Amino acid sequence: MTDQPHEPHGDAHGHAVDDHGHGHGSPFIQHHYDDAQHQFDSGKLGIWLFLAQEVLFFSALFVAYILYRYHHPEIYSYAHQYLDVKYGAINTAVLIFSSLTAAWAVRCAQLGQKRGLILCIAVTIACACTFLGIKYIEYSHKVHEHILFGRYFDPCVSSGGRELLTRNNNCPGVKSTVVWDLGAGTATAGCFTDIDQDPRKDDVQADCTVKEYDVTETAKRVQQPKKDAGGNPVMGADGKPVTEEVEKPDVVETFKRDIAEKCPEEALPGQEPAGEHGVAHKAEKFPCWRTAYQPAVCKKAVGILVEYGDQVEREHTRIKAECKASPKAADAGDLLADREQRLQLGKPLIQPRHQLTVHEQHELEAMGPPPEHTNMFFTIYFAMTGLHGIHVLFGVGVFTWLLIRAVKGQFTPDYFGPIDYAALYWHIVDLIWIFLFPLLYLIH
Amino acid sequence: MSAAADSHHDDDHHGLSHVATIKVLVATGGTLLVLTLVTVLATKIDFGANINLAIAMAIAVLKATLVVLFFMHLKYDRLFHTVVFVGAILAASLFVGFTLMDSNQYQQTNIWNPDAPPAAPYGPRPTSG
Repeated sequence: MTDQPHEPHGDAHGHAVDDHGHGHGSPFIQHHYDDAQHQFDSGKLGIWLFLAQEVLFFSALFVAYILYRYHHPEIYSYAHQYLDVKYGAINTAVLIFSSLTAAWAVRCAQLGQKRGLILCIAVTIACACTFLGIKYIEYSHKVHEHILFGRYFDPCVSSGGRELLTRNNNCPGVKSTVVWDLGAGTATAGCFTDIDQDPRKDDVQADCTVKEYDVTETAKRVQQPKKDAGGNPVMGADGKPVTEEVEKPDVVETFKRDIAEKCPEEALPGQEPAGEHGVAHKAEKFPCWRTAYQPAVCKKAVGILVEYGDQVEREHTRIKAECKASPKAADAGDLLADREQRLQLGKPLIQPRHQLTVHEQHELEAMGPPPEHTNMFFTIYFAMTGLHGIHVLFGVGVFTWLLIRAVKGQFTPDYFGPIDYAALYWHIVDLIWIFLFPLLYLIH
Repeated sequence: MSAAADSHHDDDHHGLSHVATIKVLVATGGTLLVLTLVTVLATKIDFGANINLAIAMAIAVLKATLVVLFFMHLKYDRLFHTVVFVGAILAASLFVGFTLMDSNQYQQTNIWNPDAPPAAPYGPRPTSG
């Protein structure tokens, strides 16, 4: 013990008397302690040991975070843009302020300032509730947008605000209307308002192009140059090409013909052609009628035919007739307009990468679909902020109990241990958030 | 308050433990808020991903130190409490450090496939005779 013995309530002999109240001191000094100082120090050591295990407790989650970030930096760079720095920063400020009032409450209790103590505890509780309220806003937004953990990660929009193809189509507002066959893992119907996945990327057949069709195009008879069997224009007696009136199909028929032309011998599932040795082999390429036509750009006045491929029939051709430009895309200004150009079909998704600044590149990536395993970020996010939130909730309970006791006037300069211990607990909660905030919200 | 008069020194011990002055409390709280602003603004400037991370972490550590020293009174508290707390942080960093050291060990691991054994010198030894 480094401290000199204290005799704060002037009854050094008090503990010899076998009454729980220790004479003139606080009635909350337990008789198995020598004096108030002994009780206070014991409690304080106890709370510090508890805080030490809290550090170890959270360190497991920090390990998960660090390890995953180390191996998958692209996920963190992408996913953190789903989080609103504004909310995180406000919550940080709220918690810091509540830490200040908690520390001030200890001071008030030490000095026997009852009104100050009550006020400080009340403000601390109010701040804790504000924190939880903001957390509620953040969480409920994520629940609505399906920005969740594990397999529940199915966001309606990319982290940059672009609408995405979702597996469970119940996004709020005017979002993608794609209906998924979850069993088969394919979309069965729907409409996109914006491109979100590049049909030419990775696994998707590269030579399948997505063609835009004018949905206003209906079946009609048109004049076109007549051709002979060899495909050469037939010349009339006067030397001019002969025209003939032909039936031009409507846009759906056109699409179907294009598909049939593009993938003439493509095998349907279950009907794979037999290989050289009579063994059916799977088509190496993705059937373009199934995959390549799933995502498509919608532009004003242009319908996109989207083949959401029923696996058996090819009949699921859909026309997008009512597509509008994404309102978010319209708001985002020049960079986005520029990006809109780059994202046009038939061009690489991100073309002049080297010319972009880091921020632009970052933003551009955020317009694309989430990288694989992005759900892990939110698994870690919800585990960390959720556990922290439970601590805040517990703190609200503790401080409410202390508020009641403070109103009853149970805390005196020789008995304020519970206030001090709760404040220490509250500071460690603040401390953890001080790390969570930059790690989750402020990823560069 | 009668006690307020003698609480204006930083190292004042009143009653059971150290009483923090209002000045120290408010200064700590204010510094923490300013540092929060700084860390948010620092993210907007591009120093490269690693340096940005280092800046954010440095500010977080600084903030945490302020909280521990002044709000949690560790500066004025018993040395043993510091030992307990710093000990926990050291244990946590051992935990993080050793896990990170280990995490790259399994990247190149191949599952043994008896049908396609790896080439020498890792493959099966030729049987003699």
